[in-house]
Amino acid sequence: MTTSDSHPKQSLGFRPVFRNGPLAIFASVKLTIVLLSLCAATILVGAWCPQEATVGQEKVIEQFGEEMAVNLHNWGVTDIFHTPFFLILIALLSMNMVVGSFDKVFPKLRLLKLPLQFFGPDQIAKMPFNTSFAVGASPAETLEKLQIKLQQRGFKTVVHGNQLAAEFGKIGRWAPTITHIGLLSLLLGVTITSWTGFSGFKPVRLGDDLSFQDSEHSKQWVGKLPTWKVHVDATRREDYESGEAKQWYSDLSVVDPKGKVLDKQQISVNTPLEYQGVDVYQSSWGLDQLIVSFNGRERTLDLRPMGKLYAAFLPLDEETVLIMSLRNQTLPMRLFAKRPEWEAPKLISEIPQGKTVKLGAVEIKYVRPVPVTGLQYKSDPGLPITYTAFGFIILGVMLAAIPFRHVWVSVSKDGSEAGSTVAIGGRSKKAKVGFERLVTNIVDSMQKELPPPVVATAVDPENGLSDNLTLAQPAPLPSRSTESNV
Amino acid sequence: MSDFQLALTNTAGVSSVASFWVFVASNGVKKYHDKMLKVGSIVMAIGFVALTLAIIARGVEAQRFPLANLYESLLWFAWATMGGYLALASAYGIRQLGWLAAMLAATMFLYGSWLPANQQTITPLVPALVSYWRQIHVPPLIVSYAMFFLSGLSSLLELYHAKRKVSLGLSIGTIFLAFTAIGLGTFTTVDTKWLQLLFVGASLGGTIGAYYTLKMTRGEPNVKQAELYDDVSYRAIAIGFPLLTIGIITGGLWANHAWGTYWSWDPKESMALVTWLSYAAYIHLRIHHEASAEKLSVVSVAGLLLTLLTYLGFNSLGFGGLHSYGKLK
Ligand code: HEM
Repeated sequence: MTTSDSHPKQSLGFRPVFRNGPLAIFASVKLTIVLLSLCAATILVGAWCPQEATVGQEKVIEQFGEEMAVNLHNWGVTDIFHTPFFLILIALLSMNMVVGSFDKVFPKLRLLKLPLQFFGPDQIAKMPFNTSFAVGASPAETLEKLQIKLQQRGFKTVVHGNQLAAEFGKIGRWAPTITHIGLLSLLLGVTITSWTGFSGFKPVRLGDDLSFQDSEHSKQWVGKLPTWKVHVDATRREDYESGEAKQWYSDLSVVDPKGKVLDKQQISVNTPLEYQGVDVYQSSWGLDQLIVSFNGRERTLDLRPMGKLYAAFLPLDEETVLIMSLRNQTLPMRLFAKRPEWEAPKLISEIPQGKTVKLGAVEIKYVRPVPVTGLQYKSDPGLPITYTAFGFIILGVMLAAIPFRHVWVSVSKDGSEAGSTVAIGGRSKKAKVGFERLVTNIVDSMQKELPPPVVATAVDPENGLSDNLTLAQPAPLPSRSTESNV
Repeated sequence: MSDFQLALTNTAGVSSVASFWVFVASNGVKKYHDKMLKVGSIVMAIGFVALTLAIIARGVEAQRFPLANLYESLLWFAWATMGGYLALASAYGIRQLGWLAAMLAATMFLYGSWLPANQQTITPLVPALVSYWRQIHVPPLIVSYAMFFLSGLSSLLELYHAKRKVSLGLSIGTIFLAFTAIGLGTFTTVDTKWLQLLFVGASLGGTIGAYYTLKMTRGEPNVKQAELYDDVSYRAIAIGFPLLTIGIITGGLWANHAWGTYWSWDPKESMALVTWLSYAAYIHLRIHHEASAEKLSVVSVAGLLLTLLTYLGFNSLGFGGLHSYGKLK
């Protein structure tokens, strides 16, 4: 028993909750490691293969060819995050996390309450890291100096007679508990959202409405869809001078079923509309249709995105195609004609919005483009819990970076008038070598600052302590029992 | 790019190469060994300062946070590698990690300088990236990647001192092949399928092989040095893991803010999660299972490969997705 970690569990009043019974397997950290690795491997496959749910089946076919795509589909690889395998894996991991947290992680908090113990030289000599040295100063002076040095390095120290116990980074002990509370809360938040929230995406043309009736929600859903709609009053794209898109904007109105306007907000990428727990996001933008008139008869043509442009195609006869292209809402429409014998389409005319040109017997008017705004919406009732969870997880993993260190010292009088022998030892679970350097450093400076021992001890002057950490022979010391402190 | 910024960047690049050679040469001359190691670190420190200034200059010139494309992220990566090494070296008095760190930084500089000019010039941002979230989200990720790389490199030294020569050889070979796949994917038109196969095949074969050959030892292990590098490897992860966590979570917050969903299984996002889960597994192996240092070293090398895949692999091996830095070919 050299450190506080290895206390008999009974003395803490802690008994594992799930040591026996069917849940015992879920308390295993070995299982955790296996599940985490399996999860990682599955997600890796999901990252490699395009997922139908997000990018559509065409993408899979494009990447792997028809035959392979069908195989991947049948194996579940193209929608891996919805396969029973993955869902069971997540369920097992969740079980493991809940049981493991309550069984192994939270009970460790009791260690925080334990008073520091004290140890004699014999026990210190058995510690993972230990050394001893002699100085020509009284035990009291030596101990005081050591205490100051430890405190300067951030240790909390307690002295009991000629013995000293010090600890550093106790706050790091909160790490596993806080992280795991965060992970459990995350689980809770995500579950609440999947049972009561909804989400979806819809491209909405200027002047049309967004309603929530065809949103996605899970099977065991217990939420309610709003009856109000969102009307697109205006939408536009703002460009850099080079012509690349800089920002998209949409002016939206919230309208109740009777047509009453409840709210108006402008959204852009990164600034959504928020109304009654539902958020509506600007997620994409485009020109969807083109309205032109031929000799006064309006026609609506579908636009296709072509790189930075949008274009509509209108076959005039067997061979000739009229191409109308737009760069954005404000610039003139460009009119091209294409015939098979021409290498490239020929520019016929540029028509500003609202203007007409005459081509032979036909008057063509550029009436206006119809923009479409891609609206992503969601209601996420678990969000406050999820966000709190994020906070806990970040705090927890940051605390985990703090190494937790213990030092024990026992000083005894040596044979001379004013000399002492010091036994010092300790451990650090996370940064062993750094810890050893720290203690060695303290020992070196003690020996420099205090007079050398009068009685020669076996310190080899050629060979500094830093090279051989246990070379100073512990002087014969009365062995002391420390059990009373446990 | 202004001449001033270019000069600073080049100084940093040259410093990384120079410090590499000083570190390497130090092993050849017993007499000046310690002095040369110090010189190597100083040269590296000069490079670090130059790079810090270069990145600031770039930000001032572009009038935006200078972390928006692959080239800039490589500068950050090299910066974090050099800074991370200097911090670890001063905490642990280690020097041999120096030449590996210098080589890594130099590789990233080289990789960056070979990128087509359109990646190096300062370009405006697409709408999705115009947000202050960008500077909160990306730097922790890049720095965490650098820390994981340093951890993996440190693990190589651990294997070396533990005299696990076969495992070491396999690990080095694997890392080399993985980098080769990335290089070919970025600069040539070799079919990405073969490169994916090369990367994944080498990584799986190499790490599994390295794990099962841990039993083979040659010569007397240098226990103290092995322990030292084991410790360094863990410290690097202990710093990298919270950063990765912060990066992933702030990415989620940003996505939620911008698109209304904090998780969408985007490839890069998924990969970061894979890396995160893997290092979570590493931490539990270490804290609760107390696996041997050598086993943990192999896990850390596997982590390095995953980090490489997350950071550069997805772009260059043709995985695409929202986070791709843009096609090069
Ligand atoms: C899924 C089931 C899981 C179980 C059963 C489990 C169990 C444990 C146990 C037993 C500890 C050690 C507590 C101690 O010794 O003081 C621990 C620590 C920890 N766990 Fe988990 N864990 C799980 C999942 C996770 C996940 C997914 C993460 C992701 C970050 C995580 C993060 C941590 C951290 C950061 C620590 C603290 C490590 C340290 O102190 O350095 N755990 N966990």
